[in-house]
Amino acid sequence: MILRRIVYAFVLLLAVLVMNFALIHLAPGDPVETLVGEMGGATPEFIEQMRAAYGLDQPFYIQLATYLGRVAQGDFGFSLYFNRPVLELMFHRIGPTILLVVTAVLIALTLGTFLGVLAAQRRNSWLSHLVTVFSLVGYSTPVFWVGIMLILVFSVALPIFPIAGMYQSDTSATGLAFLLEVLHHLILPAMTLALIYLAFYTRLSRASMIDVLDSDYVRTARAKGLKNYLVIYKHALRNAILPVVTFAGLQFGQVLSGAVLVETVFGWPGLGTLAYDSILRRDTPTLLAILFFSASLVIVVNMVTDIVYRYIDPRMRAEQ
Amino acid sequence: MHRMLGGGLRRLLTLFLILLAGSFSMASAEPREGGTLKVFSSGWRTLNPAVQSGASAGVPGSQIFAGLVEVRDNFEITPYGAESWELSDDKMSVTFKLREAKFHDGEPVTSEDVKFSLFAARDNHPFGTVMFGRIKDVETPAPDTVVFNLTEPTPGLMLSLQPLLMPILPKHIYDDGQELKTHLRNNENVIGSGPFKLVENTIGERIVLEKNEGFFIEGRPYLDRIVITAVSDQLTRLLMIENGELDYAPNVGLRYTDADRLEKKEGLIVTSRGFEALAAVAYLELNLRKEPFTDVNVRRALAHALDRELMNQIVFGGRSRVGEGPLHSNNPLFTPGAPAYEFDMEKAAAMLDEAGLTAGADGKRFGFVLDIPTWAPHMWVPFAEYIQAQYSKLGIDVELRRAPDFGTWAGRVASWEYDATVNGSFNYPDPTIGVERHLRCDNIRNVTWSNTQGYCDPEMDEILAKAAVETDFETRRALYDQVQRKAMEDVALLYLVQEYSTTVYTTKLGNPPLSPFGALAPYYDVYLED
Repeated sequence: MILRRIVYAFVLLLAVLVMNFALIHLAPGDPVETLVGEMGGATPEFIEQMRAAYGLDQPFYIQLATYLGRVAQGDFGFSLYFNRPVLELMFHRIGPTILLVVTAVLIALTLGTFLGVLAAQRRNSWLSHLVTVFSLVGYSTPVFWVGIMLILVFSVALPIFPIAGMYQSDTSATGLAFLLEVLHHLILPAMTLALIYLAFYTRLSRASMIDVLDSDYVRTARAKGLKNYLVIYKHALRNAILPVVTFAGLQFGQVLSGAVLVETVFGWPGLGTLAYDSILRRDTPTLLAILFFSASLVIVVNMVTDIVYRYIDPRMRAEQ
Repeated sequence: MHRMLGGGLRRLLTLFLILLAGSFSMASAEPREGGTLKVFSSGWRTLNPAVQSGASAGVPGSQIFAGLVEVRDNFEITPYGAESWELSDDKMSVTFKLREAKFHDGEPVTSEDVKFSLFAARDNHPFGTVMFGRIKDVETPAPDTVVFNLTEPTPGLMLSLQPLLMPILPKHIYDDGQELKTHLRNNENVIGSGPFKLVENTIGERIVLEKNEGFFIEGRPYLDRIVITAVSDQLTRLLMIENGELDYAPNVGLRYTDADRLEKKEGLIVTSRGFEALAAVAYLELNLRKEPFTDVNVRRALAHALDRELMNQIVFGGRSRVGEGPLHSNNPLFTPGAPAYEFDMEKAAAMLDEAGLTAGADGKRFGFVLDIPTWAPHMWVPFAEYIQAQYSKLGIDVELRRAPDFGTWAGRVASWEYDATVNGSFNYPDPTIGVERHLRCDNIRNVTWSNTQGYCDPEMDEILAKAAVETDFETRRALYDQVQRKAMEDVALLYLVQEYSTTVYTTKLGNPPLSPFGALAPYYDVYLED
């Protein structure tokens, strides 16, 4: 079963590679034109030289075959804009993005589940309504706007957090001091990214918890005289959390896309800003590599979610 | 008489107060050694200005590399890497005497490095041929002497010999057979002889430069470090300035309302100085291959339909100046008074009627697509929307088209597959670099910021050719006045408003880089107060 999933994942990745390549090549605009435009102009001969150097003068199918062949060998090419190997560029940026995304997902998951459970226990109370309103507003607010508002409040009006970057630009901190500095810079972007998903998880866990709380086994647990927190967190939550975990996996790709906006607003030096710069500068090799990486991540996370799901849901194990 | 005396006294008193205020501020402005200057960049791809024009490479590049000369206030050319120079009587050669200087790796700077750098810039810089195409050969009679022999007198040459346009590169590093445009040492372990050494270059994150203790000007630089941080979001940049997270934000792209606000903020100074050598002009670029723009009278009618003073008010709060042709008013060769197209809608309508573009039954004369560039949306979008609104009053349908990215816009313009675009370009210090390119017949090319609109007039070519080699300043200025007038008459481009660029810096910044090259000049004189 797991083997079959892995084979599917590889087929999917191949499809992603071909689709991304085709879509980027179909889009109007020309990477070399962008490059020489930013350089301030160049001769037509120079432009042709550049096209030849990057293999852009070849027919589409040859470019695609060359690209697939290189990727199979782990070579993602040379960035047209940044003038560096793409993998080297990505290597520097993956860490900050993972830090941001994982922190945001953890905040959203734990806080969202907690709020959802709280609201489900008092389903027609003001708290429950407040959580519903908060979820709707949070889910419909553009992420960049939330980011800017948080900066205005917590960096400008109340200068508690820095506005941008992952650390002080002139930092000389090392070790623990450096970690604390990064943490200080991480809070606002992570909260921004988490807020959207926090709303989603809150709503989801609330709905799921309401279903579970109505079930017979919860009633039995209460009848046995178990303490409320044990009923909620030991018996009910274990079942109620299943859809939350599933959606956390499915939504991982969306969190990554949200990271592009959050990183841009907060000047966070991750893959998101690299993707943004690559799109603006038509840096095709870098963009393709980022898209491939994010697609792979989504596929892997989904696969892992499936596997984890089997372990936390006894019904699935029983079916197996 | 009395009123004159009163006015005179008032002026005298004002002058006295200004001097007094100046003396107070100067008293506290004793240069201090040390400190880290925090600057921003919207991104960079190389640190070598010999292969890339613009601020992204220029800001760090002018700190790492030295040049032969510097351009100071009022475009005064002063010694830098060269301690002196001598122009031959026939103005066909220049001999430079070099200062004793060392690269950051300890190797001496010699005439061979200068020769190598000149040809490197000529062959790799986007304006290389324009700047150095008239250099026939370079002699190196001694390690500290270099002679440039010219094919024609080249009055703009000296302005191009500062670090931004001709950085002195170490031949022992770059002359290794690698392609200079993609040379790895353009980004890693970059060595120059400028006031600061490269310590770190994390692309998309930050550049760290450290004081060059062996810099050839004794006692300089004052600063210990410069940190250039990548911040691509304009609003974030603005907030960082307000919060004091940046000391110096050159060409920050402020809306005038933000500039107004920041001016009132204590501890910050907002200025439009420091762009004189770049001097950007904004224009409406009509594709002259397309009907009805082929007719100069139609172009003139379109010029009459725009209230450019109002455009200046809307976008720049009146802080800039209406365009008077291809030369920016900051350029020393600029002469005011070129014929302007006064705002007159009736006249515009009558001229269109005369050109045979009468309104149809639906009230429409013709239509076109107006492209909007992707950078500086605070400027281009209101300009384009104003143009659309004005022309619709004349029965001209203007469809606005925004591009998803720079490449798309550049692709349309460079392939000449566009009707019109709002656009702008830098003059650069000499018109042979930034002005000629839009007007010469032989520069109609499929390259952005060349003569993409397709303007060609043999008379214009002739004047430009004369002006490029004229060594008498006044005669040269008169020739560029002719260029200015002819470009306006022919509406080669429809000049709108000179772009308004702003720099914001903290009051703690001493000797801020406000020379004509501003942020793109060396910062060895800059210091930070406590």
